[in-house]
Amino acid sequence: MKIVKIKEDNCIFCHLCEVACVVEHSQSKDIIKAFKREERPIARCTVEFNYPISLSVMCRHCDDAPCIEACQNGSMHRDERGYVVVNEETCVGCWMCIMACPYGVIKRDTRREVWGLSTKCDACPERDIPACVDACPNEALIYEEL
Amino acid sequence: MKIVIVGNSTAAVNAVEAIRERDKISSITVVSDESYRAYSHPLLPNLVIGEVSRAEERFYYRKADFYESHKVKTVLGRKVVKLYPEEKVVELDNGDKLEYDKLLLACGGTPIKPPIEGLELEGVHTLTNIKAADKLRKDLKNIKQCVVVGAGLIGSKIAEKLAKKGVKVTLVELTKRVLFPVLDDTGADYIHKELKRLGVTLVLNDAVSALSGDKRVKQVILKSGKKIETDGVIVAVGVAPNAGLAKDAGLTVDRGVVVNDFMQTSNDNVFAAGDVAQAYDMVSGVKRPIPILPLAARQGRIAALNMLGMDVKYKGGFAMNSISIGKVSFISMGIVDSDELEVLSIKRGDEYRKFLIDPDNRLKGMILVNNVEKAGMFNWMIQNRFDVSWIKDTFLNSDFGWKYFNKAFRVLRLDRKIK
Repeated sequence: MKIVKIKEDNCIFCHLCEVACVVEHSQSKDIIKAFKREERPIARCTVEFNYPISLSVMCRHCDDAPCIEACQNGSMHRDERGYVVVNEETCVGCWMCIMACPYGVIKRDTRREVWGLSTKCDACPERDIPACVDACPNEALIYEEL
Repeated sequence: MKIVIVGNSTAAVNAVEAIRERDKISSITVVSDESYRAYSHPLLPNLVIGEVSRAEERFYYRKADFYESHKVKTVLGRKVVKLYPEEKVVELDNGDKLEYDKLLLACGGTPIKPPIEGLELEGVHTLTNIKAADKLRKDLKNIKQCVVVGAGLIGSKIAEKLAKKGVKVTLVELTKRVLFPVLDDTGADYIHKELKRLGVTLVLNDAVSALSGDKRVKQVILKSGKKIETDGVIVAVGVAPNAGLAKDAGLTVDRGVVVNDFMQTSNDNVFAAGDVAQAYDMVSGVKRPIPILPLAARQGRIAALNMLGMDVKYKGGFAMNSISIGKVSFISMGIVDSDELEVLSIKRGDEYRKFLIDPDNRLKGMILVNNVEKAGMFNWMIQNRFDVSWIKDTFLNSDFGWKYFNKAFRVLRLDRKIK
């Protein structure tokens, strides 16, 4: 299975992966609308910086995913492709997946009315190559077999 | 092989999944005294106030076709009353007998009944299963003011939910703070403030000695002598493992059903997992029941693999909780309060971080209030007895993350070369 591999030596802290992720997960998939008009999705990848290093981190799609094990109602699950994804319809935002995730890559979306929503990398189901990888100008993110 | 599973919740479901990933042939029978498909126990307080209903998919632990697609025979609404380990048979409350080659006890816990007079009065509730939640939900129209006994997970959560519904709630707790085992004083203070903001009256360092009323509960009398008028009481002082079945069968039982590293009880063919089991706590170094969902899932899975003869070891677990009350969310795990361990902590407005580290520089526990998103990284460190000497200086930074790790280690971890 391919995952997004992180080549931190190539990262130039440009945040384009985050921008591409936001656009990809927006309603319109249009950069202006996604950032200015619609409710802006949360980027599934996070660029970290601590001079001189920087890197973008996102879900590693574990084989024995502890987030799936910790989920209280099966919302966190493995899809047909083998990637770990959240069922937004049923997620209740209890953050038990966050408690379990050994990579700290699940984020909280608290903007829904009743239920919170765990937000994480879904390896872009509608694309051949994830948006972050496509957007990276320097091959700091590459989509490869593990 | 004939596999029988007593119980139909987290541990049982995960056991079924683990079995069926490897074995499509063995028969699996799930017996449960509840007549519904597996559901999400943490959502019971939400069910009571109608935030979620039993018609909604999010209330359930697995999809409706789970049993069919995993070729599981279900015997629901039936209680297992006796276990005959020599004959490898369990007996149900209707007299039916089920033979097994391997048996999994995943029958959870029951609410502890504290020594309080008047528990039999109308308007007195518990909240650990659908039946109790339904009873409470139907009774809500009669409850304008309510006393919740015990400020544990269920107690605090239902107090919050009822207060949101406009019920005048008094939360009575024996210890000096809410959520005693999972928070320290500073952490609990956030929850105290939040509960008060929601209108909950907190009564700490006190206990209920009696409930009074004619038919229905009218008054709660505290140890301190204080009296509270009420028309409903919710008793939530904890759950005890349902170990009676195992005990009567002569298996080794302490507080829960004692299991070895393979989730096996003192009888080779009987395994136990979840809230009923007393398994190894890797932080405290002793075997004790830790009734939390993620461990039930893991134990169920590991028990199942060993029932199939696979020799998979349970590394041990430790307590961990993720709880939101009002606007405050926190995640804590392991030891949260200690005079012996090295303590790193910082409080910055809404955020509170605390880490407890032993003399060998192993992380033993932590609390994160509000900024919780990296909690799992600390979970990993505790589980793997990770040497934190070179990185603990950064634990108190709000932006703690991968950038603070040693490069070689970070690259190996993120490439999934180190588990």
